Amino acid sequence: MKHAVLETKGLSKHFGGLKAVDKVDLDIHPKEILGLLGPNGAGKTVCFNLISGVYRPTQGSIRFEGERIDTFAPYQVAAAGIGRTFQIVKPFADLTVFENVLVARGISCYRSFLKMWRSWKSKEEREEAMKTLERVGLLEFADRKASLLPLGNLRRLEIARALIIGTKLLLLDESFSGLRHEEITRLETLINSIRESGVSILLIEHNMRVAMGLCDRIVVLDHGRKIAEGNPRTIQENEKVIEAYLGKRGRAHAA
Amino acid sequence: MSSYVITIATLIVIYAIVVLGLNVIVGFAGQISLGHAAFFGIGAYASAILTTKAGLSFWMALPFVILISGLIGLLLGLPSLRVRDDFLAITTIGINFIVEAVFLYIPFFGGALGIGGIPKIILFGVKLKGGAFFSLCLMFLGVVLLVCWWFTRSWGGLACFALRENEEAASSMGISPMRFKLLAFVLGTAMAGLGGALYAHYMRFISATDFSFPLSITFLGMIVLGGMGTLWGPVLGALLLGILPELFRPLVNYRILFYTVILLLMIRFQPSGLLGETSLARKVFSFRFLGART
Amino acid sequence: MQLFVEQLLNGIAMGSIYALITLGLALVYGVMRILHVAHAAVYTVGAYVGVLVFHLTGSLLPAFLGAMGFCALLGIVIERFIYFPLLKYPPYVPLIGSIAAMLAIEELCRLVAGPYILTFPAKLPFPAIHFGGVTISETLMAVYCITAGVLIFLWYITTRTELGLAMRAASQDISIADAMGINTQAIMGITFIIGSAIAAIAGILVGIYYNEIYPTMGAVPAYKTLALIVVGGMGSVPGAVIASLMLGVAETLLIGYANIPLPRDALAFIAMIAVLMWRSEGLMGSK
Repeated sequence: MKHAVLETKGLSKHFGGLKAVDKVDLDIHPKEILGLLGPNGAGKTVCFNLISGVYRPTQGSIRFEGERIDTFAPYQVAAAGIGRTFQIVKPFADLTVFENVLVARGISCYRSFLKMWRSWKSKEEREEAMKTLERVGLLEFADRKASLLPLGNLRRLEIARALIIGTKLLLLDESFSGLRHEEITRLETLINSIRESGVSILLIEHNMRVAMGLCDRIVVLDHGRKIAEGNPRTIQENEKVIEAYLGKRGRAHAA
Repeated sequence: MSSYVITIATLIVIYAIVVLGLNVIVGFAGQISLGHAAFFGIGAYASAILTTKAGLSFWMALPFVILISGLIGLLLGLPSLRVRDDFLAITTIGINFIVEAVFLYIPFFGGALGIGGIPKIILFGVKLKGGAFFSLCLMFLGVVLLVCWWFTRSWGGLACFALRENEEAASSMGISPMRFKLLAFVLGTAMAGLGGALYAHYMRFISATDFSFPLSITFLGMIVLGGMGTLWGPVLGALLLGILPELFRPLVNYRILFYTVILLLMIRFQPSGLLGETSLARKVFSFRFLGART
Repeated sequence: MQLFVEQLLNGIAMGSIYALITLGLALVYGVMRILHVAHAAVYTVGAYVGVLVFHLTGSLLPAFLGAMGFCALLGIVIERFIYFPLLKYPPYVPLIGSIAAMLAIEELCRLVAGPYILTFPAKLPFPAIHFGGVTISETLMAVYCITAGVLIFLWYITTRTELGLAMRAASQDISIADAMGINTQAIMGITFIIGSAIAAIAGILVGIYYNEIYPTMGAVPAYKTLALIVVGGMGSVPGAVIASLMLGVAETLLIGYANIPLPRDALAFIAMIAVLMWRSEGLMGSK
C-alpha cells in the first residue's frame, strides 16, 4: 500500500447554510494523476481552495505527506511543495513572462530575511527560468509583458509557475479550458512528463476526453459530496455519475 | 548660484528622498499610503529631540532616527496593512492626523511652538550650510537611490512587485502578503525618516503643522506625476512639484489655483505619470536607461 | 445637568450636520467605490451660493433651492469630468483627482468671494422650544427638522421607489446591476445629484449655525467624513448616519462638557481605528 501524498478525511466547507464541500475523502498517491470531476457547482474549486489554504475547512483534515496542512496559509502550502493554477488566470500582468516565472523560482528565498536581499539577476537564474519556459513552450515570449498574452499562453504560464512550486503535488484547475487542439495535445504530453518526473497531480477538468485519457483514477463530486470513485472506465459507466451530469432523463437515455 | 536656488534645490532633494520611500510602498508594493508626511515628521522630531535634548550629534543620532522611523512604521503598519485598500487609505490619513496631534499636544514635543535651535550638521569639523549642505543631501539621495535600485533586483523586491500585481497568485508562490507589505512599508518609512532628519537640521526649527495631511498629498502627487513604480519617477516628480509653485510665484494670488488645476489635469490625462507606461513622454523619448518598471 | 443637556443637544445638532455631509460621501462610495473628498468643496460652495442668493432675494427658500441646484450641477461636473474617466485606474488616482479638485474649488471660492469670513444673518423660520430651563433655539430646531426631513426623504426613495431599488442594487454590485439592465450611468449621476444637493443644505445650515462662511470651511469635514464612512461601514448609509450622530455627541460632550483636552479633530480618527480593530468592516458594513 503506497503511502498517500495527499489525504483528506471528512473534508467539509460550509458557507452559512450552504455545504459547498461535504465530508469528502480523497487520497492521492505518488506519481498518480487523480481527476476531480463533477457538474458545475459541485465543489471542485472549493476543494482546491481548501487544499491550497485559501479557505479553512469547517470540518475534517488535510494531510500532506503525513503532515496536517489544514491551517496553512496559501504561502505556506506553496512552501510545502504544492503548486496550483487558477480557473481564472492570474498572471502578474505588468511583468514579463520571464519575470512571472522568476517569481516562482524565488520561493526558497522568500522566507529568509537574509536571502531576500540577494539579487535575482544572475545567469543561472535566467537559464533555469528559460528551461521551464521551454518545457511549456513559452520560450519565444520570454520578454513579452504577460498582459499581452492570449488565454492559451496564459494558461501555460500558470502551469510554468505552478511547476516550479509544485515539487511534489500539482493542482490544475481547468488548465485545458480555452485551448486549441494542438495545444491540448502538447499539454497532455507535458502533464504526463510531469507525472513521470515524480510529481502527483490533482486535476479539475470539464473536457471529458482529456480527463478520461489522462487520469489514473477519478473522483466525482456532486453538490459537495463524493458520489463515485474509480478508474475512468468504471466512472463512465457509473449510473450516479451519468445522472449527476445529464439528469435522470439522461440516465435513461444513456442506458 | 544664488542662495534662493540652492534653498529650493535642497528642499527638492530632501523631498525626493522622502518620496522614493513612498514609491517603495505605493509603486513597488502597491499599497496606498496617504500619511507619509507623518513619518517625515517622525524622523524630523526624532533627530531634533536626540540632538537638542540628548545632546547627540546628527551622525550619532542618525541610525537611531532611521531605526525609530522604521520601527514606528512597523508598529503602525501591522494593523493597517491588514485592511482592505480603501480602509488602508483612510487609516493612513488617520495616522497622519493622529501623529500630528501627538506632536501638537504632548509637551515633550514642544507643542504648538515646536522644536527650535536644532544644530547644524557638522562634517569633518565644518558646519554645513548652503552648497555644502546641498551636496550632503545629494549624497544621501544617491544612497537611497542605490537601495531602491538594489531592491528592484532583489528577491524581496520581486516579491513586492508580484504582490502588487496579484496578491492571490503571489501567495500561491510562497510570498507571504503581510510580510512583504510590511517590508515595503518599513523601508518607505525609514527613508521618510531620513529625509525628515535632514529637513530638521536644514530648517533648524520644526513644528507639527509642517507635517500635516496636505503634505502627504503633495508627496503622493509627486510620485504619481513622475511615474509610480519607476526608479527615477519620484525624483522627477519631486523636481516638478518643487519647482512649479516657485515658477508660479509671480502669479501671487492665482498661484495655488494654477498649481491645483495643473495637478488635476495631470492626473486626469496622464495618470500613469510622466515616466509611466502610457505616458506621452515615454512614447516620445523612450528613455530605457531611466529605469524600466521592474 | 442643564449644561449636559445643552451640550447633548448641541452634539446632536453637530452630528446631524455631519450626517448630512457624510450621506453624500456614503452614497457615492456605495455606487462608485470612490472616496469623494471633493464633496467637502461642494458643501462649501453650497454655503457660498446660499448666502449669495439670500442677499439677492432676502429670503431663505430660494437660497436653499439655488444652492441645491448649483451644487447638484457641480457634483455632476465633477463626476463626469474627473471620476468617470478614471474608474479603470487604481483607486488612488481618482482620489488624488478628488483632492486636487477640492483644493482648486476652495481656491476659486477664495478668489471670487475673498478670504475673509462672511456672515449669514438669516433667521430660520422654526420655533424655539423651551423646557425645563433649557432652550432649543430656532437654529437647532431647524437642524433637527431639516435633517430628519432629508433622512425620511432618502429612506422613502431607497425603500419605496424603483429608483431606490436600482440604487441599492448598484451599490451592492455594479456589474450585476448593469447586466440586469439598470442604467448604472444614470444611477451614478442621480446619486451625485442627491448627495451634492444634501451637501448644499448642510453648507447653508452650518453657515447660519456658526454665522461664518469661509473658503476652507470644508477642510476638516473632508477628512472627518472619511473616517465616519469607515466607522459606519463603507457604503452603508444608515451606518454613516449613526456614526455621524455618535461622533457629534462625543466631540461636543468631551470638549464642551467634560473638558478633556483631546485634539477634537483627531477624535474621529481615533474612534475609527478603535472601531476597525474591533470590527474590521465597520459598524454596519458587510464583509
